[in-house]
Amino acid sequence: MTATVLKLQDVVKRYGDFSAVDGLSFEVGKGEIFGFLGPNGAGKTTTLRMMLDIIRPTSGRIEILGSASAVKVRRRIGYLPEERGLYRKMRAAETIAYFAQLRGVRREDAKRKSHALLDRFGLGEFARSRNEQLSKGMAQKVQLLATIAHDPEFLILDEPFSGLDPINQHTLEDLIRELRGQGKTIIFSTHVMQHAERLCDRFLILAKGKRRFLGDIAEARAAHPPRLILRTRDPAEWLAKTRGVLSIAAKGDPEDGEQAYELTLAAGADPQAILKAAFESGLRLSRFELAGASLHEIFVTLAGDVGPIASPQTESEAA
Amino acid sequence: MSPVLLIAWREYKQYIFSRGFLLFLILMPLGAILIAGALGLAESAKPARHFTIYDATGKYAVPLAEEFERRRKRNIVTSYDSWLSFAADKAAIEEKKIPAPFAPGPPDSVRVEAFLAAGIDGANAAAAPYLRNGAPPFEEPRWPFKLEPPPPDVAAAPGIEEARERLKPYLLDEKLPPGADEPLFAAVLIPRDFGPGEGAPAVEFWSRNVTDAALKETLGVALNSMMRREAAEARGLAPGAFDSIASIETALEDFRPDRAVEDAALDDRDRFEIALPALMTYMLIVVIFGAGQLLLTNTIEERSNKIVEVLLSSVTADQLMMGKLLGIAAVGLTMPTIFTLTGLVAAVGLGGGTETLSALSTLAGSGLIFVYLFYFFCAYVIFAMIFLAIGAMSNSIQDAQSFMGPVMLIVFLPLPFIMLVYQNPNGFIASLLTWIPIYTPYAVMMRAASDPPLLEIAGATALMLAFAIVLTRAMGRIFKETILNPAPVRLSDVWKLLRGASGRSRS
Repeated sequence: MTATVLKLQDVVKRYGDFSAVDGLSFEVGKGEIFGFLGPNGAGKTTTLRMMLDIIRPTSGRIEILGSASAVKVRRRIGYLPEERGLYRKMRAAETIAYFAQLRGVRREDAKRKSHALLDRFGLGEFARSRNEQLSKGMAQKVQLLATIAHDPEFLILDEPFSGLDPINQHTLEDLIRELRGQGKTIIFSTHVMQHAERLCDRFLILAKGKRRFLGDIAEARAAHPPRLILRTRDPAEWLAKTRGVLSIAAKGDPEDGEQAYELTLAAGADPQAILKAAFESGLRLSRFELAGASLHEIFVTLAGDVGPIASPQTESEAA
Repeated sequence: MSPVLLIAWREYKQYIFSRGFLLFLILMPLGAILIAGALGLAESAKPARHFTIYDATGKYAVPLAEEFERRRKRNIVTSYDSWLSFAADKAAIEEKKIPAPFAPGPPDSVRVEAFLAAGIDGANAAAAPYLRNGAPPFEEPRWPFKLEPPPPDVAAAPGIEEARERLKPYLLDEKLPPGADEPLFAAVLIPRDFGPGEGAPAVEFWSRNVTDAALKETLGVALNSMMRREAAEARGLAPGAFDSIASIETALEDFRPDRAVEDAALDDRDRFEIALPALMTYMLIVVIFGAGQLLLTNTIEERSNKIVEVLLSSVTADQLMMGKLLGIAAVGLTMPTIFTLTGLVAAVGLGGGTETLSALSTLAGSGLIFVYLFYFFCAYVIFAMIFLAIGAMSNSIQDAQSFMGPVMLIVFLPLPFIMLVYQNPNGFIASLLTWIPIYTPYAVMMRAASDPPLLEIAGATALMLAFAIVLTRAMGRIFKETILNPAPVRLSDVWKLLRGASGRSRS
């Protein structure tokens, strides 16, 4: 079993009567890429700030890299906040070296590292440019490089893809995979599910300060009701009464006289039995597809205004 | 380097190595030279003020012209004395090696006439053996006034009313007096009934330029002198005796009763020590105001640029605050230090080196400098923490304005009282200010050289330190609570922050 680098236990953060984070518990293992998903205002940034001990939880316990406070191990952590900025008059290389020095890297090493990183990420010629002269994308790269320049073993990235163009998003995904390959642990928050789907070993969905899901994509799909997509020119609403079908809903407008339907199935329902029932009733089908839920759909379902649902880990913890 | 020093160094570097500051350092001496040059050039390029006198009494025009001539001659001698004070060796002056009438002294009529009889060349020759290397020779100063005879039509005026009318075209540049190459700057009209008695009418000064007061002032002195001379002669005083009496100057020396009689006389060192508290206090206000503004704008920039969250993931809020306080304090002290050093270099260069160094060594030996530094530091920390907290609560300078008004009022409130404390360092106002913690540093610095009651200073200092600790904690708490808060804080929220903020964030 991999070592735990982060552990949150019943963490609560209240501002007056408002609970920004409400009884949050989870663990992140060494070498994991862990997604921290949730809509705006879910409590992601508050939780990340509590992990870093920038703000204190109202109650609960946080352990990071074996320490009760990130302050003691901050040189082993790299943090890229959601709202990020740079000193406008500082030069790019100087900025990276400055933050590396603040996190304990010696001056000469910090300077050398900053130039090496800028060269590697195609910004070598801008090393002496002032931050205010950089494009937004370049400035974001500089911010990211400042986060990793001290070679942290644990990276906390708050919405790292926000504001990046597709090429830079791709570069960042590669970098995250490369860092994981070096044995580093990465936790990142996002509300763009594609990144999480491609990168995360596990993820947590947070909504209104509460955990809605914790596990990997397979577990999420397993926990999500299976669906059937079918297309026919005949009325199909009657399929709702078929055994194993929880509901049926028309999807979009009819095309060429055909209507698409989405059937939500009960857990363990047999799609073949439904297909057989459709044929026996003379339903003319042009499409019949068993669809697994995408992370986006899972996210919308879980983070939407619904009650908390059980996740594999929640259930096992309860057991 | 520790994170605190790293932050301090970055703050310091950001301002001190900025192009603007370096440019200012280069331009400052250049600017001073340019301003001095421009003022000198403006004065020398300014044409002499041509004026005329219409005398309805028929008896004062000549004496008044003679008074003006006396002033002109006297001006040559006093200018020579000023030149001598920096051009000649101080020892030569003190040992009275320069012969009369060229030795500096009161410009009575005997000395002035003897000086002018020898001429400027004679004066330069007499002073030459005692001049410092490279000292420029004395040159006759430019006399900025020129008395013109009244234009014939004015002179022929039957009375002052008509003279006024006839003078107007000359004063309004519509006409030049015959033979003159410059228009009339002013005209002096002496009414018929003017004289020494009470109730006599005033002399009229007509000029289109009322802001250039030099001629009017000189005229006033000359008129007074003329009337006193007339009165003295009317009382039987010999004509030359008035000048001798008028040039009498009495020496008045300062002594301190708390010293042995032989050491009681105040010297330059004492004067320096007495003046220093006022200088330090004003410097403190300048530093607090300057550094406070920097802290404010700098914190607002970090907050609005969203840099602060990365900083707080790397250092604690206390380290961030301490780094800022140190860095900006160093920035605030750099400018006065440069000014002081420039002043010292200039003082040494101009021949005051011995006195300056002696005063400095005395100050260092007396321990007063440590008293000043301690209270300077306390005052800086008190006000800097307030500015830091304001910066942390504001997204822009506009947000900060609502807090800045009351704070600036508090910073500058003691200014009107500083002179009172300076003049009476152990009086009621001095004592009162000493016991108000926020003003204790100002008051104690002003009083330090005047042996204030030790118990009072100790008590007030303890109170100030307690106040500084409470204030620093409270402002630090506001800083930590609000620096990451995206919305600016309202004035009405500050009390809530102070009451309810404890324990939320790390220190």
